[in-house]
Amino acid sequence: MRPSGIWWIVLTLYVTMAWAQEDYSFDLSEIEEKPCQFGGYFEFYPIVYGLDEDSTAHKLKFYDRDSEPLRYETNFTALLDGSYKKGTSEFRAIVNTDAKHDDLGWSEETTLYEGTWSLRPSPGLSFQVGKATLKWGKGYAWNPVAFLDRPKDPTDPELAREGFVVASADYIKSFEGPLKTFSFTPALVPVYDHLNEDLGQITGMNVAGRAYFLLHDTDIDFLFLAGPSKTTRYGMDFSRNITSNFEIHGELAIIRDYEQTFIDDTGTLYNRTTHATNTLLGLRYLTESETTTIFEYYHNATGFTESDMGDYYSFIDEGYNTYLASGDTSGLKRASSISKNHYSQKNPMRDYLYLRVSQKEPFDILYFTPSVTSILNVNDHSFSLGPEWLYTGVKNLELRLRTTFLVGDSYTEFGEKQSDFWVGLRARYHY
Amino acid sequence: MSKIRLLTWMVMSLVATTVYATSEPEANPELAEANQLLRQLDRNLNPESYESYRKLINIEPDGKRKEFVLYSIKKGMDKVASVFLSPASEKGRSTLRLDENMWLYIPNVGKPMRITSLQSVVGGVFNNSDILRLDYSAEYAVTQIEAQNGETILHLKAKTKTVAYDKLKMWVNREKTLPTKIECLTAASMLIKTMVFKETKDFGNGIVRPSVIETDSPLHKGYKSVMIHANLNKRTFKDEIFTLTFMPNLESLRQ
Repeated sequence: MRPSGIWWIVLTLYVTMAWAQEDYSFDLSEIEEKPCQFGGYFEFYPIVYGLDEDSTAHKLKFYDRDSEPLRYETNFTALLDGSYKKGTSEFRAIVNTDAKHDDLGWSEETTLYEGTWSLRPSPGLSFQVGKATLKWGKGYAWNPVAFLDRPKDPTDPELAREGFVVASADYIKSFEGPLKTFSFTPALVPVYDHLNEDLGQITGMNVAGRAYFLLHDTDIDFLFLAGPSKTTRYGMDFSRNITSNFEIHGELAIIRDYEQTFIDDTGTLYNRTTHATNTLLGLRYLTESETTTIFEYYHNATGFTESDMGDYYSFIDEGYNTYLASGDTSGLKRASSISKNHYSQKNPMRDYLYLRVSQKEPFDILYFTPSVTSILNVNDHSFSLGPEWLYTGVKNLELRLRTTFLVGDSYTEFGEKQSDFWVGLRARYHY
Repeated sequence: MSKIRLLTWMVMSLVATTVYATSEPEANPELAEANQLLRQLDRNLNPESYESYRKLINIEPDGKRKEFVLYSIKKGMDKVASVFLSPASEKGRSTLRLDENMWLYIPNVGKPMRITSLQSVVGGVFNNSDILRLDYSAEYAVTQIEAQNGETILHLKAKTKTVAYDKLKMWVNREKTLPTKIECLTAASMLIKTMVFKETKDFGNGIVRPSVIETDSPLHKGYKSVMIHANLNKRTFKDEIFTLTFMPNLESLRQ
């Protein structure tokens, strides 16, 4: 045997023995509890948009700009999550700063997402005052019963969101038998000048609540919101594992006297009041090979019909044609204002399907999860399709390459978005 | 009349079958003793209600490591909860198990969502049922016992289909009544993973048990995961702690 062969055997044996006799350490300083804690993340997120210059959204936003097939945007985010604990009380604040650079220059916004003081005299009773997110509902992409939360972005439902100022309590009681847990969360939600203005226009004190039951291995919530700022709404949700790898969930929300503002193709605004029933049904299924499928159907009775949206798109086109012919921007500016106030929902129409399929660690590539997400507008058959690659193999670093294609005919939801596609790489470092 | 007779016969058959099914394992004195051994092994591994800290290390074939530190609590036969203390990207994530129900809570993101025993919130070889483990005797019954090279081998069968591994083959040190190795198998006896229990340590208050569990799997060749226990203490908790509503506050239990 040649010397190099002997060296190779010795080296292999050494590595094998080192592996076999590895000493694992657990330094207790790692678990030392500190009353004051800080954490959060920094994020760098460049995005390229492939613009659809024929879409109404593009005409509305970029009507006075030169033609450009691509638009570049660089986003920076810093989220700070700090808390201070003393005895049974805790103060916690989450502050988010977004900075964006695109061809219009820099813009920056700092928002207090959450800022709460909580008191927990016993495990079964707690009180909380301040700005908080309550996160009601069981749906993944949409939550019709989340009466006190800002809407999710269905294309990225796990994004942190800003809360509302509330005073709430949690009462929890556990039992033996089919009913294992009961909890009740009452909440007071004030709406005044500069306080929770996004929740409603009429000022006053609103009352909300959630009763939770874990009954026969099923999570069940009953929820309500009443007060001057929003019309009365109530609902329920549920979630249950049918088997160890198959979960179903659903939500039902009834909104009384819901007033919706429409625009006709001449630009005239009019209101309609209805009782709306929003529903969501969904499932999550995990295969033996760790493919996770999330599927949801969402009926948004507070949304617009195809005809309503047709009038809206038509009015924008009318304004744009007027601008091209005479340079008069009044129609587009009016459309922009109406769009912001009445047509700004992420998914403004009636019926949607959501499908997300993700494969954990394919080909034994640890911490790598590719996935594909699609949202289908059932009413106009337009859709988005977004492949994504997530890697979390480097400590505290999350790399997420996302792209989305928006497909649809003229005067359909995804056909009228400002882009045909976009690609972004999000690098998030947690500290 | 014949209908009543038929109904009576069906009810009696059902009762007889149930009584037989529930009493059968204990009817065999050897298995009854083996199940008692399994219950004793559970108590030696940890008190019925306790708190502990655990470090999970995922080791890739090239030696690259990823570490997680968790604070875990358990009460009785069916309640377990954990919260991640590090790394920063996982901090505050908590998991809860009530019998076969499992949830994951991710702070700033959403409400607790249901997860399954076969998933893994940390990646690597450990899955959720390993991290949120109940007593072995709560989920398995001994079907066979054998002696081999001075050790006792227990063959365990899951009591329900919702348990992550259908069968376990457990090597037991009879002197200490502690496991030394466990093979996790499918219903068709295919090996899913092997857990080796090492470095027995005195945690105080009479708790003497292996502090390190090494795991590898033929399904993830070259990968290894390690679980290290520290500060394992007997402690009782109120039932209300093991609820979805309390999940965001699990870390407040640390003393």
